[in-house]
Amino acid sequence: MTPAFASTTTRPVVRVDRVSHHYGEGDSRNQVLFDASIEIGAGQLVVVTGPSGSGKTTLLSLIGALRSVQDGAIEVLDCNLTGLGRKELVAVRRNIGFIFQAHNLFDSLSAYENVKMAMQLGDCPPGEMRKRGMAILDRLGMADRADYKPRALSGGQRQRVAVARALVNRPRLVLADEPTAALDRDSSGAVVKLLKELTLKEACTIMMVTHDNRILELADRVVNIVDGRIISDVTLRDAVVICELLRGMELFSHLTPTEITRTAEKMRRRRFAKDETIIRQGEAGDEFFVISQGSVAVRRRAPDGSEQLLETLHAGAFFGERALMVDEPRNATCAATTDVEILILDKVNFRQALEQSPSFRDQIQSIYFQRQ
Amino acid sequence: MILHRGIAALRVLNARGLRLSPVPLAWRNLLSDRRRLARSSAGIGFAALLMMVELGFRNGYIESMLLVMRRLDGDIMLVSSQKYQFERVAPFSRRQLYEASGVRGVASARPLYLERTASIWRNPQNGRHFAVLTFAFDPDQPVLLIPEVQAMLPELRQQDTILMDRRARSVLGDVAATTDGELSGKHIKVAGTFWLGPNFFNDGNIVMSDRNFFKLLGGSGRDRTDLPDVEVGVVKVQPGFAVAEVQRALRAAMPPNVAVLTKQQLIDQEASLHAKLSPVGPIFTAGALVGFAVGILISYQILFSELSDQLAQYATLKAMGYGNGYLVGVVLRQAAFYAFAGYLPAWALCIGLFRYISDIMVGPMQLTLALTAQTLLLTLAMCMFAALLALRRVITADPAEVF
Repeated sequence: MTPAFASTTTRPVVRVDRVSHHYGEGDSRNQVLFDASIEIGAGQLVVVTGPSGSGKTTLLSLIGALRSVQDGAIEVLDCNLTGLGRKELVAVRRNIGFIFQAHNLFDSLSAYENVKMAMQLGDCPPGEMRKRGMAILDRLGMADRADYKPRALSGGQRQRVAVARALVNRPRLVLADEPTAALDRDSSGAVVKLLKELTLKEACTIMMVTHDNRILELADRVVNIVDGRIISDVTLRDAVVICELLRGMELFSHLTPTEITRTAEKMRRRRFAKDETIIRQGEAGDEFFVISQGSVAVRRRAPDGSEQLLETLHAGAFFGERALMVDEPRNATCAATTDVEILILDKVNFRQALEQSPSFRDQIQSIYFQRQ
Repeated sequence: MILHRGIAALRVLNARGLRLSPVPLAWRNLLSDRRRLARSSAGIGFAALLMMVELGFRNGYIESMLLVMRRLDGDIMLVSSQKYQFERVAPFSRRQLYEASGVRGVASARPLYLERTASIWRNPQNGRHFAVLTFAFDPDQPVLLIPEVQAMLPELRQQDTILMDRRARSVLGDVAATTDGELSGKHIKVAGTFWLGPNFFNDGNIVMSDRNFFKLLGGSGRDRTDLPDVEVGVVKVQPGFAVAEVQRALRAAMPPNVAVLTKQQLIDQEASLHAKLSPVGPIFTAGALVGFAVGILISYQILFSELSDQLAQYATLKAMGYGNGYLVGVVLRQAAFYAFAGYLPAWALCIGLFRYISDIMVGPMQLTLALTAQTLLLTLAMCMFAALLALRRVITADPAEVF
């Protein structure tokens, strides 16, 4: 069996399971969500669209622990929200970054102090706050405005401060409601760029209600809600699919979500038809393969010319690592025995992954030595 | 300008000293809009001023009734048990005062005479007549601790001679310049003046010897040949005796028609009478309460509108993970700051105002430490109570509504 800790690392950041929600009671009872289910992994930028009043904001506020779950189950950052009391919901919120349509900054506080209000809830030691707060403001191009009051800032600058406030505690989940609605082109560009970077570099998960086309282009997934029902959930980016695949595999079960995301980012998906040869013995090897669907036969040709079937690999298994690790030509031929889908990592990135992730290296090595 | 510089200095202090401490949100909110701060402190300061003036009047009124009592040179006072107010004439027998001087531990028991209906002073300038309060004692046994009176005992012994209160109300005329006057239709000589002051019921005071008292005003004795009745017996305790001990002995020796009180008891009794039973004390207390109630309304209005303006911000704090406890703390702190911001200018204004009122009403209107503490606490209580009412606004703020 997989050890418990391993399973937590690959659990989705957000899991919404058959959630329904209504406002009011009796005759005025108005259901706004019907049986909504969605799972979101680490490092995804998920855009939620839909007409106004469709329930998307309600879904966001439920995930953000701003409302109590009425029906169904919601798990956020490994915490089951169903049935939590007011105090516990408040504690969950501290791990989530919120960005609202309005900046909601205190006029009485400087930009930095508004950000510091968030840091006071996080784990940043007081002596480090100025440094960390200034760093995030700097990333948003607001370092020279840190001591300005919101009144002295433009609309775009205020929203950037609000974004800094939401991100300064490095939340693993950010919920944003039309964060660029009130922004001009340049400001919203800066905000969107930063959010996108977060998902890529820090495996931060972002769920955002927006109608901004520039964000839609960058989204990994687009979820469309109409009349309280999720009517489509489209994954746009290959890396997200790969990420989902890797997450289900034994080989990657010890990796942190960030490591999985990083690895997935560098992989390509490729399909091979039945009987197609994937690698050939004697050729130089510069790629690493993981089977996501189908099976692959591994054969070795003896010096006398006879061919021997070594093993058949199935989904979740990998091959091709030896040539990369020892810099030798391929020592076997692998061919598809069914239609297969393979995830490919090139040599440079494979080595980088080994260096960056000790758990990945251990995993590869232990399986590699078993094969010898 | 001074306020401006003060705020700037505080800002610098904040920026340096408080860098490591949490963001002082309540303080920042207070200072964020100076015009609003000025409006708010004016409103709250008005209520504080109202309370200070009303309670100042009340204290001044009571204190004016105690002026003479505080200057009685004795430890224990004997008064008729019929006497419910110091200036209401209710004499007791002189013989009983003699008995008192024989009680163990008593050093002296001296008489004070008092009159306030027959002593009619004629304004030397315009000839109009006014009732004044006359105190009399035996110049050989002085009982008043008024330096000018103590210095003029020889003058008091002369016939038809009086000392006049130069702090008397101006209606009595230019008292200090008067040497020959008229009291109850009789010619008198004003040998000098002393500094005491009128009170709510009397426009001024006159001091004279017991002999002149009986001659000019007929005294309070029913029979002139008999010993005159006494208004107050001023008792001094012999060194080495405890006042309480002598008081007990006197109580045992005196008949029930004579009350034996320490000086402080007499003062306390009089003060409490004016504070509670006379119509004047309660009126001012009610005035102060009105100020308190108005203050609650004003500060509630201020806090409520300020919280309403920042509702989205407070809801955002809740969404970020701040609990209600933090928000309650911010609002209460801000209310306390408002209390000080309103109180301090009102207090400063009162220093001048009290002096001005004191001159007009010729009374002891004093901004004492006790009054300062009392009204500051009332102002704080007022703002805190308003804050508790206004808190509902932030506690019910729903972070889900901000989305």
